[in-house]
Amino acid sequence: MNVIFTAVFISSMIAIAICAPDRLLSSLLGGAENAVKMSLTLFCIYAIWMGLSALAEKSGLSKSMAKGLKPLSKKIFGTDNDLANECIAMNISCNLLGLGGAATPYAVKAIGELEKESNGFAQKLLFVINATSIQILPTTVIALRASAGSVSPSDIFFPSLICTLISTACAVGMYVLGRKLFAGHKKWR
Amino acid sequence: MALIVPFIFIFVFVFALIKKVNVYDCFTQGITEAVKFTVSLLPCLAAIFMMCAIFEASGLSDLLTNALAPAFGFLGIPPELTKLVLIKPFSGSGSLAYLNEIINSYGADSYISRCACVCFGSSETVFYISAVYFAGLKVKKLAAPIFCVLAATFISTVIACLICRVI
Repeated sequence: MNVIFTAVFISSMIAIAICAPDRLLSSLLGGAENAVKMSLTLFCIYAIWMGLSALAEKSGLSKSMAKGLKPLSKKIFGTDNDLANECIAMNISCNLLGLGGAATPYAVKAIGELEKESNGFAQKLLFVINATSIQILPTTVIALRASAGSVSPSDIFFPSLICTLISTACAVGMYVLGRKLFAGHKKWR
Repeated sequence: MALIVPFIFIFVFVFALIKKVNVYDCFTQGITEAVKFTVSLLPCLAAIFMMCAIFEASGLSDLLTNALAPAFGFLGIPPELTKLVLIKPFSGSGSLAYLNEIINSYGADSYISRCACVCFGSSETVFYISAVYFAGLKVKKLAAPIFCVLAATFISTVIACLICRVI
């Protein structure tokens, strides 16, 4: 991000200096103002969902969801480490509910656990699954649309679900297939 | 479809009630976390929104969009989404900024907005995740998985735009 930010900033400033130097400060101010407005909207969204997820965690709902998913994660990731399996299950449950922020800590913990048994395949598989997004309910997007006055904010539910399934399936498929085909190649190991 | 969200809320609240959780305290605690989270996000948001604003004002963004529009148009991706698709792998807050802009300028229910929402909702910040997940570990051969993820994300973007046109 650092490289992109600096590059875009410098090139834009140079371009602005040439075309319209008086607009630099006003557009920077406008940007900051938008950031504050945006973070207010975001706070409202997070307040709702983090409140709800705190309830789910306290009542043991998240734990029982994780327990249900544990046998599955054991089979897919091929690890006997209980803590790793639980973290993976929690990570995937949070992801499914669209709580990406809550999912990250679990993934980091799971990958740390898998590091102990140097299970590189499981680590990368978990990364591939997370990086293609596996959410059932895109809560942030739905809430954003609702606050912008959409008639039916949740009608993107099905398209999102289909796309997220396709992207995860493609990525996992490519990764697993690539590992098999190029087993000798050092990049895939 | 609109029933999903109310159903989740009712389910969680009733479940918490059965388990004798102090619902009000617990909900408030969650919001406290949300305050911290939002505040921690604000600096990044401010910097990136500024970057977006001058990128826009300098005319460079139009240049980039125009340069890529033919290729994207060929695959059925509206040119308005170019910047969103390009920034998403790098930064969640940056792409959120563009998503917000698209929703506000084209209307929440327009084809462009729905497309943008589906693309945003079905992809992730690949490079950010790879940096966070593998920080401080020895696993370094990430080129292959990252390539798989990026290719799959691009495929799903093309499909997203296709589906939104039909529905």
